[in-house]
Formats: sequence, structure tokens, C-alpha cells
Amino acid sequence: MPAVMRAPLLAFLAVVPGVAAAAQGTAILYGSVTDSLGQPLRATVRVVGSPAMAVADGRGRYRLAVPAGRVIVRAGHIGFRSQVDTTTIAAGDSLERDYRLPASPVELQPTIVTAAKRSQLLDESATSVAVMNDTDLARRAVATVDEAVNRAPGVLFLNGQVNIRGSSGFVEGLGSRVLLLVDGVPANQGDRGGIDWDMVPLVDVERVEVVKGAGSSLYGSAAFGGVVNLITHDVPVGWHGRLRATGGAYANPPSEAWTFRDHTGGLGGLDVTGSYGTETLRGSLTLGGRHSDGYREQDRSDQWETAGRAEWLPRPGTRITASGAWTSHQYEVFPTWCVPDACIDSRGQAFQPFMIDTSGRGSYTRSNKGYLAATVDRTVSGAFAWRARGSWLRSHFTDYNPDDWSVSDRLGAELTGVLHAAGGDDRVVTVGMEGAHTAITSDIFGDSGRVGSHTQVDIGPYAEAEQRVGRVRLTAGLRLDDIVVDGARKATVLSPRVGAAIGSGVGTWRASAGRGFRAPTLAERYVTTRAFGFEVIPNPDLDPETAWSFELGNGASIASWGRLDAALFWTEARRLLEPTFVLDGGVQKIQIRNISRARLRGLDASLAVSSLVRGLTSSIAYLLVDARDLTTDSVLSFRPRHVLTLGTDYQWRMLSVGAEFRYTSRIERIELEPVFGRDPRVPARVLDLRASWQRGPLSARLLVANALNYIYNLVPRTLEPVRTASVVLTWTY
Amino acid sequence: MAICAAVALACNEGLQPTTAAPAIRGTVTYQGHLPDSLRDSTGAVLVVAFATFPQTPADLLHFAAVAFLDTGGPPRRYELRVPTGTYEWVLAVWEKKSNTELGPGNADSLLREVGFYRDAGDTTTHGTGRVHVGGTGTDSINFAIDFTNMHRICDYFPPCPP
Repeated sequence: MPAVMRAPLLAFLAVVPGVAAAAQGTAILYGSVTDSLGQPLRATVRVVGSPAMAVADGRGRYRLAVPAGRVIVRAGHIGFRSQVDTTTIAAGDSLERDYRLPASPVELQPTIVTAAKRSQLLDESATSVAVMNDTDLARRAVATVDEAVNRAPGVLFLNGQVNIRGSSGFVEGLGSRVLLLVDGVPANQGDRGGIDWDMVPLVDVERVEVVKGAGSSLYGSAAFGGVVNLITHDVPVGWHGRLRATGGAYANPPSEAWTFRDHTGGLGGLDVTGSYGTETLRGSLTLGGRHSDGYREQDRSDQWETAGRAEWLPRPGTRITASGAWTSHQYEVFPTWCVPDACIDSRGQAFQPFMIDTSGRGSYTRSNKGYLAATVDRTVSGAFAWRARGSWLRSHFTDYNPDDWSVSDRLGAELTGVLHAAGGDDRVVTVGMEGAHTAITSDIFGDSGRVGSHTQVDIGPYAEAEQRVGRVRLTAGLRLDDIVVDGARKATVLSPRVGAAIGSGVGTWRASAGRGFRAPTLAERYVTTRAFGFEVIPNPDLDPETAWSFELGNGASIASWGRLDAALFWTEARRLLEPTFVLDGGVQKIQIRNISRARLRGLDASLAVSSLVRGLTSSIAYLLVDARDLTTDSVLSFRPRHVLTLGTDYQWRMLSVGAEFRYTSRIERIELEPVFGRDPRVPARVLDLRASWQRGPLSARLLVANALNYIYNLVPRTLEPVRTASVVLTWTY
Repeated sequence: MAICAAVALACNEGLQPTTAAPAIRGTVTYQGHLPDSLRDSTGAVLVVAFATFPQTPADLLHFAAVAFLDTGGPPRRYELRVPTGTYEWVLAVWEKKSNTELGPGNADSLLREVGFYRDAGDTTTHGTGRVHVGGTGTDSINFAIDFTNMHRICDYFPPCPP
């Protein structure tokens, strides 16, 4: 069992009645963790030198079983200075200890669970990981998961498609070079391989971990450029509830020539979460809905969502979890903005970014998606734990104008064991086997434009070992994936990775080299449709695209006022799957092919500082990507060279204000350049302003996204969001 | 401070309303490859628009405008700036490399028609693809270029010299 599950399991063990604890010479430590203003923190409370750990609930309360005698307790939370407390407690006794943590952005040593498929400290990872906790998510006052992930260092979204260090580019929704996990369960679509960011309500997400670089040695296909893991809230003991209401408005077009409606567009939503937990049984349920008028013509959307989680802790060391989510999303589709002849009325403009091409009028999509997952976590001893999971993921979309539909079901299973030699962390071995069976039925991905079905089976055994030698942690891992499509073996891919993390006087150095791959999706193999006036034809014989990723990085605290993390990265990609024009029967058509060799190299750096002014924190993140298409010796399409993010927040008592600015350099090259190359493209300069007030269980957060109402696009003829003002009111019980 | 500087940079930038100019716009696709025998002798590939269909070989040299194109590859979007009005023939022309000035005497040896715009009602003859260009121009004037099916001027104004 990976320590990802071990941590909550140990937390569970901590709250089981002192019973077993007393029998083993242990005692109970309980209390609360708050910030300096008394606001509760979902902090981690752990016993130094022991695996004992608990996570505080939404009211900041924790309960922890500790060894009797003298113990050293560390209470920590990302963004706050940890407190270390030494106390003595007798076997069978209970002791209350409350902790107040002062804000400190340089205290960044969270526990992560994604980089090695087990629990480890951030500095122990040989690869770069960006972490956003619930405090970060709340401060941003965003409404969706993708908005939250978008501002992580090294991450950039292109029209909903996530890029980690320029990994994916933009491939019109077919395939993602980033793997999405929900509590460790793969959640990319079974047919297109893309990511439904609305799969899980944001209100249920406690933490997001972004692992950068090839992760196929543990996660297989799709982890070509990185992994995003959404970690949902544990269910606390007792009754708890949360109500979150959102309302806002979109700015009108800044020019009269672009006006497309006579009213201001709005957005709103409501999420309600309730949970109840005992020492052995816990459950939570979230219901929510949202509506948006959109900021462009034909851009309205309605979404209904539900998510639930049940936990059963039948005995110490065993935890059984069932979780699931279902989202129904109906949205109008804004295909491309219109140019004069394709507008109902272009008003003399060369392009109308808020109005749609008339050929796309009436385009509409109904998208239902969801998952169910069950996991069994078992800690056999301090040295060995295992985890088994089964999952079912469904996505079903129906497009109107053009009329297409697809249903995909992905059944997955995984068994993982984690062995800590001698019960410590000096030598850790992770071994597992993962399998998935995907079945799709579709007209667009079916049989040459007719309804058809396809299946894909992926089997991947893997192993990774970590050995500590003095200050150095060495890691080596390997995964072998076998991919079978419609009963025929299509590929066998070996994905090794080696790495090292070295503690030094100037922070922790990390280095890694690994191979990533992405198997073609069933959609890429069998798509038959029309795009941009051209027929798109299938290519069943596609091969996986592969890449070697190298990284050298360092994470270091700078005195007591800052923390710097920087990494040089280098990726050599081969046989990239890209849409290309082909001559078929004397007619130009579009087909996905293995065509490109590419090189992506650059710098991914971030600095967090707490200035001398109390309550003021700032951050800067910079991503430099030198992306070359080696096949054509040109710039790789859809990879901006520079992404710079500046942020600052000031907190005074219950109030805080902040700003964030992101600069994305002009995208130098796009796909289908002959068709869209003459369209205007500009760099993106987006300023977000935010303010919040929090008192006890109530909080109010204001976000003005794109406050300057900067008008820009990142992909052809697709306008990025205009200024959007929104207020989020939250009540937590 | 840095954010203030960045904000200042962002003011009055971004996409701006842009008045469309009169032009014929569209996409050309390449159906046949340029023969290797013509690769070294190619001077240019042009998009040409005639307000009225030429009545004599001399009229062929009075075209409205030109745009330079590739000799192959993926579909390519073009924009041909023209005065407002109606155009009876929009076509692609292959031009042979030459040191002599183009004139009625050598037009037949230097120019080849390699594809032209047809409206939806007719796919066989020239002169039926009428294009109306208003103040903001017109778009989607799409047609194919086929270098394996070139036509000489004398095909339109026979007889062809031996």
C-alpha cells in the first residue's frame, strides 16, 4: 500500500478509541490548530520520529494516538510556520494541546503522495512537484478545478488543455500529455484521453499535486509530461457541513464594435456538502449546480454535480473507501470567432472575437461524466502496507451541430505494495500492477463515420526502489506496459526512471531521468469527422509517442524570508502525434500521424518571500520553454516561450487583499498555420485582483479575474475570458 | 512594484477592433505535386482576380491583383486586396522564371492556369465563380491548385501554336 494511503490510515488509527492504543502503551493527544487570527487550519500533526500523524478537520480539531512518554510533536501547514512541541504523557491518558501557526510562505515542506505513489516529504522527491493546498485554492476564490491548477508554477492552460512545461501544446481536445488522477485513480477520458476538469467539484478538493516531467515509470500512458493529482477531503468525525455560493458578472466587450448582447452576462452557483463520521464509519455528500451566461455569443452553460465518499474502518490498519462523482454539463459551443463572410453582421470588422462563425450556430454539447472507485488500504505492519483499488470511469458526450456522440467506459484495477525495510524510510520498495479495460461506442470514433465499438486493454506491472545513502536518496524504477486494441497487441513500452535527491547546505538538489510515453487514444486512431472544412480520416496503426525527460533542480530556503525552487529541464520527444494534412485520392485531408521529433528545454523557477512588512507575502514564478520541432527545424507549435507569474497578498486581521499578474509571451507558431496564420495573436497580460474577509465559519471572497479586461486569445479564433467579477460566500460547520 | 509595472505594460494592449479592408480571402489546397521538371523553372504562383472575364489574350495581362503562393504543402490561406466590386474570375497562375518582361507575345509560354474558383452551381467551366467584394471584403473563396492539370492561355484563346 502506498504511503499516500498510509497517512490517512495512520490518522485513522490515531482516532480509534484509546483502547488499542492503551494496550500498546500509547496515549491520546487532541486539540486544535489555528492561524494567528484564530481561523482553523487543516494542519498536519505528527510525532517526530514516528509514523503517527493526524490531519485536523475543517474546524481545526485533531486527535492523535502517540507513544506514551516524552514525545515531540510537529504541527504544520503549507504557508504557515510549523510549531514543534515537546510534552510528556502517560499511557492511557489524554492531553489537550492547541497550536497557533503564524503565516509564513517559506514554510513549504508538505507531505506529497503522487511523485512516488507513496507518502514522502517534498524535499525527498527526485522530481519537481508543485503543491496547492486548500488555503491556496480558497485564496484564489476560483470556481473550477482548472482555474485553480492553471496558476501553479510551470502550468499553463490552452483553451482547457493543460500543459506542464509545454508538454501538451494544443491538440483540439484529442489526447492529453498529462495524466489526471482523483485520489490516485486515473481519470482521463476513455475515448479521447482528454481531461474533464469538471469531473470533481472544487469544493471537495483539499489539495492538488502537480508532478512535472515524465511519470510513466509509475503511471504508464498519458503521464508523458506530468501528473495532476486531485486529493479530496478526508471525512472528519462528527457532523460537518459546508455551503458555498458563488455569484458574478462578465464585463461587456470594451469596444462598441464588438458588442453582441444588450445585457450583462452573469454566473452563479451553489454547492452544499454534508458529512457525518464515527470512529468506524464516515460519509460525505456534495450536491451542486452552476450556471453561466458566458462572456461570448453562444456560450451559456449549466452544470449539475454530485460527489460522495464513504469510509469504513473495520479494524486498526484497515481502511475501505468508496468514492464517486457524477457531473452533467450542458453547454453551448463557441466554435471559432467569425471573420467577415462568416458573420451575420461583421460591422466592418476584420474579426469579431465575441461572435461566432455562422457555421457553428446552434452547436451544443451535453456531457455526462463520472466515476466510482473503491479502495482497500491495509497496513500490515510498520514495514509493509498494501492497497487495492477498482474503478469505473464513464464519459458520454452528445454534440449537436455537428451531431456526434460517444460513450466510453474505463474499468481499472491496481494492486500496490510498499515495503519499508526495517520499518524506516532508508530503503523503500514499491511494487504494483495496474490494468485497465476501455470500451467505446461512438459514431465519430466508430467505424469510418458509422457507429462502431472499440476496446483497449492496458496492463502495466511496475516497481520502484529508493535507497538512502548518507544525505543522498537514490531512486530507480521501471514499468512495462502492454497495449492491446481490439484484441491485437499494438505496443509494448518500457518506461524506466532513475533519480536522486541530495540534501546540502544550499538546499536539496534533485536530479532525474525518465522515459514517458502516451499511447494513441481510441479517438486518435478512429476519428472520422470534418474540421475547418476538411475531412479528418482515421489512422488505426498509430504508435505510442515517447520522450526522455531530464531534470536538475534545487529547492532551498533563503534565510527566514524566502524559498527558491528552480529546475532545468530537457525533454527529447519522438513520434509525437500531431494532426497533419495528407493527400488522399488527390484531396487534402487531415489525419493524426506520428510525425514530429521535438525538443523542449528550459527553466522552471519560483520564489516565495515574506517581506519585512508583517502580513505581506509575495511570489514570482517564471517558466522559460525553448520548444523546437526537430522534424521541420522550427518552433514547436502552441508553446509560448515565456510565462511569468507575479503574486502578492497582504493580510490584516480578518481582511486580506491580493493581486496576481501573469504574462504569457505571444505564441510564435500554431497548427494549421496556412489556415489561421494571418489571424492576430498577442501576448497575454492578465491581472487578477482578490480580497477576502473571514470570521469564524463565515468567509467572503471577491475575485476580479482579468481586471484590466485584456482581450486576447491563445488558440486560433478563441477568445480567452474577459474581466469577470465574482463573489464566493462560504459557511463551514 | 513589479505588478504595477506589469499592469502599466498591459494597458491599451491586446486585441483591438480592426476595420476589415476590401479583399478576396480564402484557402487554396494543393491537389497535385509540382512536377520536378518545372521545379527549377518556377518563378511564382499567383492568385489573380479579373473583374471581367478576359476577352482577348491581351486582357489576361490586366489583372486586378496578385498574391504569391507556395508550390505545394498544406492548404494555405490567402488574402488578395482588391477594390470593391464584382470579380468574374479568381484563379491561380503558375509563372515561369524569365528574364524578359511579360507581354502579349510571351504570355502563352510563361503563364499557366492551375486552378480557379467555381461557385457551387458549376464545377466544370471558368467564369461562373462570381465574387462580390464589399467594404469588408469576402471570405471562403476556396479552390484547389492542381499542378498536374495546367492550362495554357491558348486553351482559352485557341488555336494553340504547335
